[in-house]
Amino acid sequence: MLSRRLLKNLDFTIIIVTAVLILISLVIIGSATHINNPSQERYWFVERQGMFALANIVIVFILLHFDYKSLGKYANLLYAVNLIMLMAVMFVGQSALGAQRWIQIGPISLQPSEFSKIIMIISLAHMLDKRSGKLNTFKEIIPVFIYVGVPFLLVLKQPDLGTALVFLAILFGMIFVAGINLKHLGAIGLAGAALMPIFWHFLKDYQKKRLTVFLDPNIDPLGSGYHIIQSKIAIGSGMLFGKGLFGGTQSQLNFLPENHTDFIFAVIGEELGFIGASIVLLLYFLLLYRSVKVAGEARDNFGMLLATGISSMLMFHLLVNVGMTAGIMPVTGIPLPLMSYGVSALTTNMVCIGILLNIYMRRQKIMF
Amino acid sequence: MLEKRFGYRLDVLALIAVIVVVTLISRLGYLQVVQGKYYGNLADGNRIRLIPIMAPRGIFYDRNGVALVSNRPGFTISLVPISGPIQEEVINKLSGILGMSIDEIKTKVNNQAGVFEPIRIKTDVGQDVVTRIEEHRAELPGVVIEIQPIRNYVNNELGAHLFGYVSEINDVELAASKDKGYRSGDIIGKFGLEKVYDQDIRGVDGGRQVEVDVTGRPIQELGKKDPQPGNNLMMTIDYRIQKAAEMAIDEQLQVLQTKLGRRNAKAAAAVVMNPKTGEILAMVSRPAFNPNLFAGGISTKDWKTINDNPFNPMDNKAISGMYPPGSTFKIITGTAALELGKVTPEEKILDTGKHWIIPKGNDAGEALGWIDFKVAMAKSDNVYFYEMGNRLGIDNLENYARMFGLGDYTGINLPGEADGLVANRRYKEKVYGEDWYLSETFDAAIGQGFQLVTPLQVAMVMSEIANGGHRYRPYLISKITAPSGEPIKLFGAEEVGNVKISDRTLTLIREALSDVTHEGGTAGAVFNDFPITIAGKTGTAENPHGDDHAWFACYAPYDDPQVVVVVVVEQGGYGTEASAPIAKKILEAAFNINQPPTENAKTNYPNSAL
Repeated sequence: MLSRRLLKNLDFTIIIVTAVLILISLVIIGSATHINNPSQERYWFVERQGMFALANIVIVFILLHFDYKSLGKYANLLYAVNLIMLMAVMFVGQSALGAQRWIQIGPISLQPSEFSKIIMIISLAHMLDKRSGKLNTFKEIIPVFIYVGVPFLLVLKQPDLGTALVFLAILFGMIFVAGINLKHLGAIGLAGAALMPIFWHFLKDYQKKRLTVFLDPNIDPLGSGYHIIQSKIAIGSGMLFGKGLFGGTQSQLNFLPENHTDFIFAVIGEELGFIGASIVLLLYFLLLYRSVKVAGEARDNFGMLLATGISSMLMFHLLVNVGMTAGIMPVTGIPLPLMSYGVSALTTNMVCIGILLNIYMRRQKIMF
Repeated sequence: MLEKRFGYRLDVLALIAVIVVVTLISRLGYLQVVQGKYYGNLADGNRIRLIPIMAPRGIFYDRNGVALVSNRPGFTISLVPISGPIQEEVINKLSGILGMSIDEIKTKVNNQAGVFEPIRIKTDVGQDVVTRIEEHRAELPGVVIEIQPIRNYVNNELGAHLFGYVSEINDVELAASKDKGYRSGDIIGKFGLEKVYDQDIRGVDGGRQVEVDVTGRPIQELGKKDPQPGNNLMMTIDYRIQKAAEMAIDEQLQVLQTKLGRRNAKAAAAVVMNPKTGEILAMVSRPAFNPNLFAGGISTKDWKTINDNPFNPMDNKAISGMYPPGSTFKIITGTAALELGKVTPEEKILDTGKHWIIPKGNDAGEALGWIDFKVAMAKSDNVYFYEMGNRLGIDNLENYARMFGLGDYTGINLPGEADGLVANRRYKEKVYGEDWYLSETFDAAIGQGFQLVTPLQVAMVMSEIANGGHRYRPYLISKITAPSGEPIKLFGAEEVGNVKISDRTLTLIREALSDVTHEGGTAGAVFNDFPITIAGKTGTAENPHGDDHAWFACYAPYDDPQVVVVVVVEQGGYGTEASAPIAKKILEAAFNINQPPTENAKTNYPNSAL
């Protein structure tokens, strides 16, 4: 059993915010999907997501019994598993929307790239643990980039541009906090910018289109611009107070596709309005704030880096996903943490929350 | 632990979180508050039109896969309401181009006032109209040309009464079926199978979401939902037999009117069915109508032509026409008499030309002398069957008629079926307030007087004799299939009743009916050279309003009945003369006798692109 002292040290803000976000998401998923489903299976998505949320709560609770420190021991193993998993997708994965991203296991289709995010954070935290404050020369920095670069390229090859970008967000967030020399960071940033045209060359056509079309969705209103236009209409028409739950008209004729997965925030905007959507964003802010706080209070460097990686990931997801639905970010297939329908993403995010709780719970050094 | 000099970097991370959330909330504020009204209008439909895309209705196939009813593309002219009321000028111009009165257009516009969907003004216009509208585009704001699937009855009149027709839903129908997802402007089945299976074959309309400018001109397409085509109907009808039956009737009516002096022989009906299952192989009613006239909205002139025809082209006389069965009823009288032991097959009765109790006789007054059952049936002797009526009494006659299924709906899957009338005491008491007279029993015994049947009911009686007393529900659809070909509903033989007839009686009746079509029988002259043995019965039903109605009912082959054919020609005179030749041609088609070698089943491939 967990000791009373550990339980007392749980971060209840994180727990409550997470619970509220998941509950809101279940309602919204229900609203987004009930119209298009045959009556008997009307709430299939809600039931499934709810079921997995409950299962994850159990998993998180069990994981709380183990000190997060032990994650470090498995870091290298996890890193290897990650590479194998990402390569497996290339050979046995199923395609969705032109990209190989899924592995089917029984009734569940898993998205390895979701899990690889959390593995990335753990293994990178383990690697940087010893290098903190020693990232002053390129000789010290380059191994870190190679370490992240290998899985990064594998994900990019799938092609899953969204996850690849998440890797970069995690990498930069963590090396920044790990104390990289700012001049070097600036140099890397400039080099990256200079390499952009080459990187661009390797993108698939539909990716290029997605990246450019959000600047002017009307150049291709029925193709790549379609989601953006429909999503903006949905959010904008929610106005101040929203159309009320289950009242979103954009879903009526299914004009807003993927409205329970990547575009769930558009439904929130449409049905809950500016006020409701802002409250959801403030809940996310609370979560982000607390997770940075966890990083600051971690008892060791490893814990701090873990929490930093998780904060960076959540922040990036929030910015890109909500930005995408609101038409200020390109469509890259990045789900909204804790809210988008999807077993893999939900599990990853809840495990992340579990790790944050774990770090915070054990923040005080044990005095004998 | 992290060195203190980097501690500020976590604060930077927190600051980034603040920036992210503030950015997003600002963006939402811009979209939802500053531009909220604009997007609200877009979503509400002030500037968005939902232009429905009509789903093509399911295709009807005959039993061998020949498409009989399909769809073809047609141009529809619609008006999309602009921000204000539709300009008078536009309506005037449109009226000139479409050849419609201004009032007609205004009625359509007013019927849909307040709805932001396009108002269909005229469906299925010609290319010339489309060209003229394109030329005057600038002067016709809000006028839209759409391409819609138009119902196409491949062979025009052929099978019209089975297929029925489609046209725009009216207010009454709309009120009755709003909860089934019907909307104003929908095209629905109004008659026949189109009506009965409307829900199955209508498909699901799609739509285009279009943003329009202030003049109502579409600026850009925002979304599109493809329509789902309706399910297809696999009919039990055999196109070859149906076509042969229609042609045979048309030719025969022509002959009757011009050569045989039956001036009013203008209406007729025929039923061809499988006695073992109840499958309808063909069904014809004359006069007919062309359902294609309705598909694009029927013109006033065409409607008047149909409406003014005294022989009611819109009635399916095969199921709704009620006629006295005439001598075809002798099958029932004979069965009852034999079954109840009122007569033996061997007993001979003396026909002196008139019955001895009531002086009613044969049509032409002939006397056949001493005759037994088979001869009486083969020669359709009235005096013999008057006596059978006399011995049975009206109640026994009624009983047997009902056991055969007369006086009741057959339950065919078509709308508008009539139930007919079985002569009985209660009816007379109720309607005339009088007692029953023996002379009325006499009439009833030979299918006159109160007796009324539909051609389909006679086909049922004939089937029961052919199959040993089973009454199967007649049906027209064997299968409903999804556009992908996957079966959705299957239909098969369904026994809804039966009449118990001993084998001895059955054999005797069948033999007697076979004698009808052989040398010495009433239809012997028509069928003496026919290569297949058939069993049949002629009938000539008295008609107080004109010439007699001519009946012929039969099944074939005699040993292994596969088809039942029933033909009635209104005011055609004698059954032998008017109806039996039609039945013969139908049987020829059914058994591939004397068919021109080039006559192959014409295959019409469905217009699946629509």
